[in-house]
Amino acid sequence: MRVVLFAAFASLIVATMPARAEDLPTFKVGMKDGVITPLRLEVPADKPFKIEIHNTGTTPAEFESLELRKEKVVAPGAVSFVVIKRVSKGEYKFFDDFHPNAPQVTVVAK
Amino acid sequence: MSGQLGQIVFVVWRESVEALLVVGILNAWLAHQGKTPEAARGKRFLWAGVSVGVILAVVLAAMLLFFGELLSDDGQELFQASMVLVAAALIVQMVVWMRRHGRTLKRELEEGAARSMAEARWWGLFVLALLAVAREGSETVVFLYGILAGGHIDTGSSIGAAALGGVLAVATYWLLQLGGRYLSWRLFFRVTEIMLLLLAASLVMSGIDHLISLGIVPVLSRPLWDTSGVLEDGGAFGGFVSGLTGYRARPDLTSLITYAVYWLFVILLLRRTTAKKAA
Repeated sequence: MRVVLFAAFASLIVATMPARAEDLPTFKVGMKDGVITPLRLEVPADKPFKIEIHNTGTTPAEFESLELRKEKVVAPGAVSFVVIKRVSKGEYKFFDDFHPNAPQVTVVAK
Repeated sequence: MSGQLGQIVFVVWRESVEALLVVGILNAWLAHQGKTPEAARGKRFLWAGVSVGVILAVVLAAMLLFFGELLSDDGQELFQASMVLVAAALIVQMVVWMRRHGRTLKRELEEGAARSMAEARWWGLFVLALLAVAREGSETVVFLYGILAGGHIDTGSSIGAAALGGVLAVATYWLLQLGGRYLSWRLFFRVTEIMLLLLAASLVMSGIDHLISLGIVPVLSRPLWDTSGVLEDGGAFGGFVSGLTGYRARPDLTSLITYAVYWLFVILLLRRTTAKKAA
């Protein structure tokens, strides 16, 4: 059990380490109180890329996609990002899990 | 507006329900042991885990809210992966232990034979409650903070909606306790056991997703099929179902193997446990 606790706290420390600046193709997405813009995103297939999330609303947003295997909470007014290492050609969806009834976004990998 | 408020009620309830399932079922199991000192001890560990979990949830939420931009993406993935995988392992372990000792826990503890083993298990209980509450709780805290910090819709009714979500969550918890008391124990144990194992399956799937995201585990194929026409795994309802069962609408080979291996492992483990008990 101590090992488990240690591992948990070790990864907590890793999680607080500053993010590396990465030169990846970046796609900006605005999340504003359940409204996401744009509703369609074209990304490269089989290559890493970054989705930069700007929460311009007054409520927190949660970028969530099981297909892209990402979830990220973004505070109101904050900017965050997710790095996607690779996706094969196809269409993927993501949505705002804190506003689950709002329209979903389609990510098209080409 | 009512749509917005409905979403608030739903999100607060959903974010709490996973932790409540774990804590509620464990508490009902312990309550079934009767008023023994050992069961009381187990409950103390359980609720201590819940308390520390709440504190950790607030700390994690504060980190997400105020240092979100500074956190490394991979670091967060790794942290979440270890939280869900440890929680899944503890759930499975707890179910096996209850199967083996549920009925005889009281007697064995009185005889002192299982005492030291029980000691280790109580700590497992503590960590499990802690992880369950901290994980989902941190998102609830972020969400509530957003409401209190002033949303674009009427703050007063938002707070009311959040409170209603909280009340529904507590009602769910009490329903579990009533179930534990008034349903036949066999039935209650069976049902809650399956619920916990499904939840652990979902945690394993989420852990693998994080590991794939980190590039540690490979994706072995494109999506094998697509059942999103029947049930999506995103959105309000689909997201809820996948969160409690590990359902994927477009699974690739890695996800499929993970899910199959998990259930195979669990079934074999439980078979062995039952056989041992019968012997």
